[in-house]
Amino acid sequence: MAILKIQRVSKFFGGLAANSDISFEVQQGMIMGLIGPNGAGKTTLFNCITGYYPPSRGEIVFYNKRMNGLHPDAVCKLGMARTWQKVRPLARMSVVDNVMVGALCRTNSLTKAREMAMEQIKVVHLEQRLDARAGSLPIGERKKLEVARVLATQPKLLLLDEVMGGLNPAESEELIQLILDVRKLGITQMVIEHNMRAIMRVSDRIVVLNSGEKLAEGNPREIVANKAVIQAYLGESDA
Amino acid sequence: MNMKSLTANIRGIATLPLLLTVAAIILLFLLPKFVTSTYALHIMILIFISVIMGSAWNILGGYTGQYSVGHAAYFGVGAYTTMILLQYRHIAPWYGVWAGVAVAVATGLVIGSICFRLRGPYFVLASIAVAEIFRVSALNLPGLTNGAEGILITEVPPFKIGNAVITDFMSKVPFYYIGLVIAIAVILATRLVQNSKLGYYFQAIREDQDAAHSLGINLTLYKNAALAISAIFTSLAGSLYGLYVGFIDPGTVLDLGLSVQIVMTCIIGGIGTVLGPMVGAVVLVPFSEALRSNMIAQALIDSGLVKEDSPIGTFLKEQLSHAHVLIYGILLVVVILFMPDGILGFIKKLLASKRKETA
Repeated sequence: MAILKIQRVSKFFGGLAANSDISFEVQQGMIMGLIGPNGAGKTTLFNCITGYYPPSRGEIVFYNKRMNGLHPDAVCKLGMARTWQKVRPLARMSVVDNVMVGALCRTNSLTKAREMAMEQIKVVHLEQRLDARAGSLPIGERKKLEVARVLATQPKLLLLDEVMGGLNPAESEELIQLILDVRKLGITQMVIEHNMRAIMRVSDRIVVLNSGEKLAEGNPREIVANKAVIQAYLGESDA
Repeated sequence: MNMKSLTANIRGIATLPLLLTVAAIILLFLLPKFVTSTYALHIMILIFISVIMGSAWNILGGYTGQYSVGHAAYFGVGAYTTMILLQYRHIAPWYGVWAGVAVAVATGLVIGSICFRLRGPYFVLASIAVAEIFRVSALNLPGLTNGAEGILITEVPPFKIGNAVITDFMSKVPFYYIGLVIAIAVILATRLVQNSKLGYYFQAIREDQDAAHSLGINLTLYKNAALAISAIFTSLAGSLYGLYVGFIDPGTVLDLGLSVQIVMTCIIGGIGTVLGPMVGAVVLVPFSEALRSNMIAQALIDSGLVKEDSPIGTFLKEQLSHAHVLIYGILLVVVILFMPDGILGFIKKLLASKRKETA
């Protein structure tokens, strides 16, 4: 079943088309990779989907509900949660408090929220850092905290914006494992990633954006063989 | 027993701070029985008003991170509503103050839904501008506010239950108790907020608005909630001030200087903590009072550090009391430079480093 339908979405900033006429669907339970060179419009698309910008044209449909014009908090309550390319820890709050803020989206009780938070902290393996200030964590743990915090909002669809950016190979490997673990929880994911090896490994399906347009869509094997994609990434070949 | 196990023991007894708090409250309630000096009571009442204002601001500024420098608006609106109702409509202040609260909250929600679209310095500027609109309006609406002349109340009617007169408001004591009760109420309210969903959401908004928004927090709703709680207590402080002093005018209760003073109480004590505004008030009120009444200059002369007839002595005696704003400013700079988390944060850090040394 397609839980998210992007239908001919465009986003203009003045005369610049950051997204133009993009359409695709995300099926329940899958991991959808979203790739493309810098400036291709990946984050803009995330922002349109999660309510930070209204799309200029087109429809975003989530579980048969039209999402255009909803604010980010309403989008989150409907079960769509996102992380940020540049991590946004609630710096002066502790790790557990950060995750509790996410959990409070679904409950008014602090006790219940703390239980829900502990559950997600276990998923990302941050049990040792419960009382640490979020601002004092190293980047790898901040990324995990960010994932725990959005998981605590109990999303049906999770949008991860470059969770592996700035991580070393060992940390990236942990995040890959985390994404696969989250899939086992039955949560659908959409992942923006520059780390090609990672995205090929985790994605069931990949959409490639270039200059704001959808360049290709397919499973990882089809994408690596796609001539247009190779050209966009490596430039024109003489041969 | 070494230091570490001692502190661990103390922390283990969670009842100790509670006992201390209860003891302090009992002591404060008994104080007027022993202290008959009206000047001492006067200072205490000013401290209470300052605690109420500071704590009220702290909920919006300290916890939610919305640095309003226009809180004089809610202080003034509360004071004016109560005083106008009392003087011109003969409505007793114990009804009037609630009207003041209602008007202040309504005002706050209107201001909030406009200004909360702005962030950071732009919000600060808008809050100042709005408060100035209120001051200028009060000056120019003499039909309602008696303009620059202000409102002088002729008498506060005695407070009766049935036929028994509880108090006739002739001394400072009733104001002392009212101030104390509201101060306790605002600190309790802060604690309640801190240990609730509201507190978590307020702090999330303070730390990162976009992240908070994406975690399902309705920014406008929660910022306005913080402002409403803040306006309730600021307005009560304003009403208490007006009734206590018996006179208000736009230059005192709607003044930008008042807004700044509210913020300073929190910065100096410690922003975003329950006790910060209390510490700030306890330090600032007596300090500024000592400056204003020339106590500090006199003390310097009495101690023999400066001769009274020397040029410095004359200068201090004549000018120091006028310089209290300047000294306030210097104090603020020193605190921000050397104690960025306020006096309370500074002490906490000191204790923590000491604990580390002994461990």
